[in-house]
Amino acid sequence: MTPIDTSIYAAITDAIQTEAGRILSEGQVTAVVGYAAARRKGSAQPIVISNPDDAQKLIFTAACVNNLAVYLTKAKKEIPKTGKIGIVVKGCDLKALSGLMGESQLKREDLYLIGVPCAGVLGSTVQPATELTTGTIAAKCTECDAHLPTGCDFVPNQTPITPELEQKYAVEIARLEALTPAERWAYWQEQFSKCIKCYACRQVCPFCFCEQCLCDRNKPQMVETTPRPAGNTAWHIVRAMHLAGRCAGCAECERVCPMDIPLNLLNRKMAKELKELYDHEASFEVLDKGPLTMFTDKDDQSFIK
Amino acid sequence: MSRIGVFICHCGENISRTVDVERVALEVGKLPGVSFSTDYKYMCSDPGQNLLKKAIQDQKLTHVVVAACSPRMHEVTFRKATEAAGLNPFLCEMANIREHCSWVHENREEATIKAIDIVGMMVERVKKNRVLPTITVPVTKRSLVIGGGIAGIQAALDIADCGHEVILVEREPSLGGHMAQLSETFPTLDCSQCIMTPKMVDVANHPKIKLYTYSEIELVEGYIGNFQVTIKKRARSVDEDKCTGCGVCMTKCPQKKIPNKFDQNIGMRTAIYVPFPQAVPNTPVIDRENCTWYKTGKCGVCQKVCGPGAVDFEQEDQLIVEAVGAIVVATGFDLYTIDEKPKGSPIKGYGEFGHGKIPDVIDGMTFERLASASGPTGGKILRPSDGKEPKQIVFIQCIGSRAREKGISYCSKVCCMYTAKHTMLYHHKVHDGQAYVFFMDARTPGKSYDEFWRRSIEEEEAVYIRGMVSRLYQKGDKIVVMGSDIAVGVQVEIEADMVVLATAIQPQKGADALAQKLGISYDKYNFYSEAHAKLRPVECATAGIYLAGACQGPKDIPETVSQASAAAAKVMTLFSKDKLEREPIVARVKESACVGCFACKKVCAYGAVEVKEIRDRQGNLIKTVAYVNPGVCSGCGTCQATCPSKCVELDGYTDEQIVAMIEAL
Repeated sequence: MTPIDTSIYAAITDAIQTEAGRILSEGQVTAVVGYAAARRKGSAQPIVISNPDDAQKLIFTAACVNNLAVYLTKAKKEIPKTGKIGIVVKGCDLKALSGLMGESQLKREDLYLIGVPCAGVLGSTVQPATELTTGTIAAKCTECDAHLPTGCDFVPNQTPITPELEQKYAVEIARLEALTPAERWAYWQEQFSKCIKCYACRQVCPFCFCEQCLCDRNKPQMVETTPRPAGNTAWHIVRAMHLAGRCAGCAECERVCPMDIPLNLLNRKMAKELKELYDHEASFEVLDKGPLTMFTDKDDQSFIK
Repeated sequence: MSRIGVFICHCGENISRTVDVERVALEVGKLPGVSFSTDYKYMCSDPGQNLLKKAIQDQKLTHVVVAACSPRMHEVTFRKATEAAGLNPFLCEMANIREHCSWVHENREEATIKAIDIVGMMVERVKKNRVLPTITVPVTKRSLVIGGGIAGIQAALDIADCGHEVILVEREPSLGGHMAQLSETFPTLDCSQCIMTPKMVDVANHPKIKLYTYSEIELVEGYIGNFQVTIKKRARSVDEDKCTGCGVCMTKCPQKKIPNKFDQNIGMRTAIYVPFPQAVPNTPVIDRENCTWYKTGKCGVCQKVCGPGAVDFEQEDQLIVEAVGAIVVATGFDLYTIDEKPKGSPIKGYGEFGHGKIPDVIDGMTFERLASASGPTGGKILRPSDGKEPKQIVFIQCIGSRAREKGISYCSKVCCMYTAKHTMLYHHKVHDGQAYVFFMDARTPGKSYDEFWRRSIEEEEAVYIRGMVSRLYQKGDKIVVMGSDIAVGVQVEIEADMVVLATAIQPQKGADALAQKLGISYDKYNFYSEAHAKLRPVECATAGIYLAGACQGPKDIPETVSQASAAAAKVMTLFSKDKLEREPIVARVKESACVGCFACKKVCAYGAVEVKEIRDRQGNLIKTVAYVNPGVCSGCGTCQATCPSKCVELDGYTDEQIVAMIEAL
């Protein structure tokens, strides 16, 4: 359990406050989406500010886990409509924004991006006031390749110190891949059997921006709505397939799951397949076509037997 | 409430042999919604169709299922019959109990049960079919013809003679293509230029033909009846309107030693040139790579001597957009590269035959230029190396063609005949010479073709040796040709003065790039693919685009001309109507649910998905959604499979219908 250096976060908080205050008072943006301290000691919550005086409420700490990109899509539709929006983004969140831009959900010129150099945030099972260590860090941060966002309008001049960590998902994927198909099926059946169909994973995901989810349709009913094994499995397969080649790896689905289903593990496995098949990885780049909406003659054809 | 009629066909015995059709009719008659079911020996026959029409009227049917063969075969037939009886044709569906059932099963009991299931599924699907109005799109009655060889010329003249405007685009400075290069043509030995040039002049003088030479296709947008084509007209450096074609510029140009591509690089031309004297248009073009003015900024002799002041060194490439309704692709062929392996090509060269190293090893087209009265030798057969008349000449057939190990497995079709012609031309011009031909088979199907080939042997004294050549090498001023005569079983060695290689026909270079611009398919050799090898041989799978000539595969002149006229006939069929009817099986977007991610637009192979803005009455943007242009949509369903919220659906194949079919099982 080695501590991870988060000393730069204080300076980042100052920089975010100054920048957000400036762009709001200059009228460059109508609102800024960021993080503020929450009631419990050390915890953080998303906040939308439109008054320059509220800029001093903004913080950045290891408890700032949320992916704020979701506030720009369906979840808070009224926010983007007010005008140009400032948003505080970690590297993983910026990947989601890039994906949303590629899928015509957002326009770069409508956003003012405040990038955050990030050494990592806390895992979902630890208390907010805990110190960030190799043991308390979120699993997604062990595999992070986006500590320093690029292409933003403003990034505080800080460099995060990022120790080499054991890649938690890679280890777990390797373990599952070593199982027989029957054992793997049994593992996932057990996981999916826990699902209570609360759809928190869907609500928190920036890429679940459909106005009418396929799974809410009843004519015809594509996915059984009651939390029974067949319908649960169908829902999670639909989710994994719809996110393949799109998921930015923010792991919000896994964080919000009340039943602790390892949802991001499934997403990471799909991402690994996409990397192997199409050499695709989620990045800061805005792609015109994703790997699954593009055809080239070099595409893998080995599935045709 | 549906009143569905089900009609089970025996198809003679094709279906009834394996499927108990009476039982199928009885069982499906019990399904909810089915109010009439019957079986008949040949549903597609006149009495069969009348049975269907009568039942629709007498039984007041609302939907029809015909259980018979594949919809590919008779869907149109039964939909027409349904329409004739007063129902919307798209309320008729076919259940395939022949290809999908009787033909592939032996057990009568099991096949019958499967047939009942297949029909049951279609009953559920047809219940949810909507009344679809036929889609009409306007037709622009102008045609684009790409390529100004004999195929393009014939197609353009036929369409223009019918009164429709034609845009003819040719890449080279003159019309004519390869046919203009030929000396005489088989099987009648009439002079190629004599029959070709009047047609070229007809094109130039035709009031309905707009000719763009020295031009290329830059971009093709749109769809059948409504294409927008951007043409890049390259700078000629000579004003076509001012030039009188006097030719003084060419006589005064100091750059006189540039190999002329038209003469297979054995004749020379100037930097300002027309490729051949009968060129259409007779307007010279400046080859900027070899022109002294463009290289050094000095000279300008042509400009000084030009009376009308037509030479314009400042001229630039122009982009011209033309609206057309149909496109004929007639880009023709190129000859196989013998001496070098084309870059990136899977096709290997024939370095062993010394082409490019031994000057007197030439290809068939070069021989044509030597034999042509307007060629660089004035029609005398002379060796390129020393200008002597060859007394022993060897022709080798199948160079490249039918050689799988070299990467081309097809037969180039015309070489047997043109080699026979070459032996005759040679015999007519060099009376004391001897021609030898190494061949694998003589392929001479065609009117008067075999007689022509026999004549070359029996009357014109060509010696045909069945067998291939293993090696060629220069020995003094002779070329030693080593081969085998497999008919006699001996090795043959001939000391020849000249060797002519009958090289394979390949598509034009860049044929694949043009196909990608047009959105048409091509095979591994880059020959363009027809929609159906037998029944739709001149149409591309992409609607509104037609093929003529050797761009589709090796062809001789009569065949090319026939195909060009056939393509023209197809264009005229299209232009015979003011509006084009299209099948309304197209995708529709449920705009209330569409979130505008445009995954459908990204995957649409036809460019049918457009961006649509939904605005309120004040003009405020409510949302941006996908819109499927029904004039372009081909009903493939890829968008439906891709849409994450399933808010784009193909009429007749909605998710509701597919699920209903599955649930019927």
